[in-house]
Amino acid sequence: MPKTTALSFTLIITGAPYVSQAPQTALEFARAVIAAGHRIDRVFLYGDAVHLASTLACAPSDEPQWTQIWSEFLETHRVPAIVCIASALRRGVLDEKEQKRYQRPAHNLEPPFEIAGLGEWVEGTVSSDRTLYFHPTD
Amino acid sequence: MTALVVIDRAPYGDWRGREAVDMGFSLAAFDQPVSFLFTGPGVNWLRMGQDATELSQKNLARQLGAAAIFGVEALLVDHKALAAYQLSVDTLSSPAQPVTVSPGLYGQYDHILCL
Repeated sequence: MPKTTALSFTLIITGAPYVSQAPQTALEFARAVIAAGHRIDRVFLYGDAVHLASTLACAPSDEPQWTQIWSEFLETHRVPAIVCIASALRRGVLDEKEQKRYQRPAHNLEPPFEIAGLGEWVEGTVSSDRTLYFHPTD
Repeated sequence: MTALVVIDRAPYGDWRGREAVDMGFSLAAFDQPVSFLFTGPGVNWLRMGQDATELSQKNLARQLGAAAIFGVEALLVDHKALAAYQLSVDTLSSPAQPVTVSPGLYGQYDHILCL
């Protein structure tokens, strides 16, 4: 079997968990990327997908806990995961720094997700070999 | 890398268009060549005389007016969609270039973004 060249990927998710299939589809794709010997440069959550990074999401016990499942995948494979700051603040997903800045009573960003700007997305689209979007369907 | 941001949804009904514009402006701010294409109901982003006051939203035509400041290369508008919404290229809120939407048009860009 011919050896394939390893590629780097940036994945952008725009659909929220429990509303769209986007986070699950992206996770299965990410697992396939790693299994095939390629690399994921970063995952970027935009729009409603920022809810994937909320540590407060509580799905019923017989449903997948997508935030924890994604978090474990990211930590296992050391994939940086960025949450768009503008999308996150509007939707109430805050890290400790933003909690203090906006004087809110709590923060809820699940590690290893980090909050940053769209510059991270631009960097990904420029530097990765492939950029893929996972949108909600409607 | 050349990028095309496609706006194919009407303004004010949801936030996808606004968030797509933010992405396009970010590309331009980081010196990446980017153009916008308005097609389908998205051509209404360019409608003159928008007043979103009663919707408690920002005027999106005004937001789009900042495209040149950010360095967006071109605003393209689907001429068929313009006709369908009884708009004329001469009466748009921002100068836009009428185009025929085709695979050839999309093929001119490395990166296509449509939220």
